[in-house]
Amino acid sequence: MTIFLQSLLSGVLIGGAYALIGVGLTIIFGVMRIINFAHGDLVMLGMYASFFLFTLGNVDPFVSIVFVFPLLFLFGALLQKTVINRVLNALPQNQILLTIGIGLILSNTMMLLFTSDYRIISTTYSSGSFRLGEISVSTPLLLSFVITAAVTAVLYWFLLKTDTGQAIRATAQDRDAAQLMGVNVKRMSVLATGIGAGLAAVAGSLISPTYYIFPQVGQPFTLKAFVIVVLGGMGSVMGATVGGILIGATESLAGAYISSGLKDLVVYVLFLLILLFKPAGLFGKSRV
Amino acid sequence: MQRLLSLVTAALLAVPALAVSQVKIGVINSMTGPQAPIGENLTNGIKLAEEDLAAKGIKVQLVWEDDTGKPQVGLSAMDKLATRDNVVGVVGAYTSAVTNAVAKKAEQYKMPLVNPVASKEEITRQGYKYVFRVSATTGDYAAILLDMATTLGKPKSIAILSENTDFGVSGAKSAKDYADKKGIKVVFEEAYSPGSPDYRSTLVKVKGANPDLMFMVSYVADAITLMRQSRELQLTPMAFLGAGAGFSTDKFASEKNISHAVFSSTQWTPDVNWPGAKAFGDRYQKRFGKTPTYHAANAYIAMMIMGETAAKAGGDREKVAAGLRAGSWDGLFGPVKFQDFDGYQNQNKHQMLVEQVQDGKYYTVWPQALQSGKPIWPFPGWK
Repeated sequence: MTIFLQSLLSGVLIGGAYALIGVGLTIIFGVMRIINFAHGDLVMLGMYASFFLFTLGNVDPFVSIVFVFPLLFLFGALLQKTVINRVLNALPQNQILLTIGIGLILSNTMMLLFTSDYRIISTTYSSGSFRLGEISVSTPLLLSFVITAAVTAVLYWFLLKTDTGQAIRATAQDRDAAQLMGVNVKRMSVLATGIGAGLAAVAGSLISPTYYIFPQVGQPFTLKAFVIVVLGGMGSVMGATVGGILIGATESLAGAYISSGLKDLVVYVLFLLILLFKPAGLFGKSRV
Repeated sequence: MQRLLSLVTAALLAVPALAVSQVKIGVINSMTGPQAPIGENLTNGIKLAEEDLAAKGIKVQLVWEDDTGKPQVGLSAMDKLATRDNVVGVVGAYTSAVTNAVAKKAEQYKMPLVNPVASKEEITRQGYKYVFRVSATTGDYAAILLDMATTLGKPKSIAILSENTDFGVSGAKSAKDYADKKGIKVVFEEAYSPGSPDYRSTLVKVKGANPDLMFMVSYVADAITLMRQSRELQLTPMAFLGAGAGFSTDKFASEKNISHAVFSSTQWTPDVNWPGAKAFGDRYQKRFGKTPTYHAANAYIAMMIMGETAAKAGGDREKVAAGLRAGSWDGLFGPVKFQDFDGYQNQNKHQMLVEQVQDGKYYTVWPQALQSGKPIWPFPGWK
């Protein structure tokens, strides 16, 4: 029982960060129908930003998100305006090639600038924990989960209650109709990419105190985010949130009860099963 | 008469050859690619050897080849060295995978190859006549740690955790075999896929198995993640044992609150009392601004041996190989001799060491004759 609770807890907590990455990807997809294969590299940029803020400016990685989010928001918006915007009506394979290309350029530029050395952020709480009955709770993981929850709450409020948020959702539901209703869909696309990039980077910052940083660190996160988004339903923010936590918990439990070498296998079997019985994803609406 | 004449000619030729002799030696190393951070240690070690050979009057012309960490690139490098550059011997490569491939080719070309650090057991177990290994093997990595553990305490059980790569799996297998031999029960064994941010579920199981020893085979970054999460979960075995690699780097040691009292097997340390070890460490530090890993010392000694032997043999590959087979050396890497034993050919019986992190610094703690500090045993608990 202890093993079950312990694994479930750490899985859910780490799933929070996965969810944040997935939400960013799903917002970008929702508004522009483009799958951002450079998403993991944006996570990597967030990690590096936190790393340098920590080592040079002594800013705590968890506090650094207040700088990292706006920074990467601008970067994402710029990327949309200058590059992604040009392929909005292009063939899907061209869009995929473009975002993969952006990802490669980002990771290789970082490698040129900062070499492929592993970098590690050591905070006072990096390996801290406290006990809750039989199970031990990781301090940095719990903190990052709390921040993730707060960020997600703000995001939901923004999307549901504000005019801009509603305009973004309208664009996601039907781009043409939204445009006819007077929504500036171009501006919404820029906003959505900025928010998506910012969220990915925040997730990177939140993971950084317990993980390590190198230029290629992002790629596995791209794949994970893609699975989360498809699992939850393409374009569904709710779906990505639930999907992230589900994947985190599944990985952790598979590691505990099967083998940590096989946990990816279990995740993908679950993924295939869900797609088999619910092709639109958990919260997705079938577009047929 | 003719024999006498040839001896005289040889002697005449040999005299100037000893004064200033020029030999051409190839180097195959991972200078770029994912293995480059450790490859850098080999490169620097060889550069220092080149200087020392020059000081002894042996002018070495090195032909550098980068294998980028890929066996197929290493193979074509060997082709080039043997046919175009016409070197008399080769020092290399770094990783086990590349070295294993290159060794086969060396044997075909009858090219003397001195292998500095690759530790996969099979490399010198295939009946090769031209492949010589300075490095210890993966079996030695586990053996020295378990020998130490059974001398210092009475461990009854062991958990083995390794990454699911060639290095990890072979390291884990050696550990399991040796534990069986020593009568230590293997209560947990698992190969994980490297690079995961979360090993807690695996470590919880280790905790449940409650082993006396925890043996890990991991690279740098995972070593730190594993120890951080072990601390979170308050895992407290008698000892944490690491099989070199990620557990014997400065970066690992500098994480004081997770690295304290962790043991790691290694082939060489700057503070071991072999003649010249300390001076080499200081010289390396001064020259390159970093502490050398054992790879640097292995590569240095491999190049010294190859350079001296090649100079004596005077550019003849057969004579170089014969010289390597017959010779024995001593120095900052301890005694070196290429021998046939236990199914190995031309394998150096190297004395492995155990180092332990104590307050962010490595001390050589085992074997007792070579120690620079007393081992902390058992694990004193987390700070």
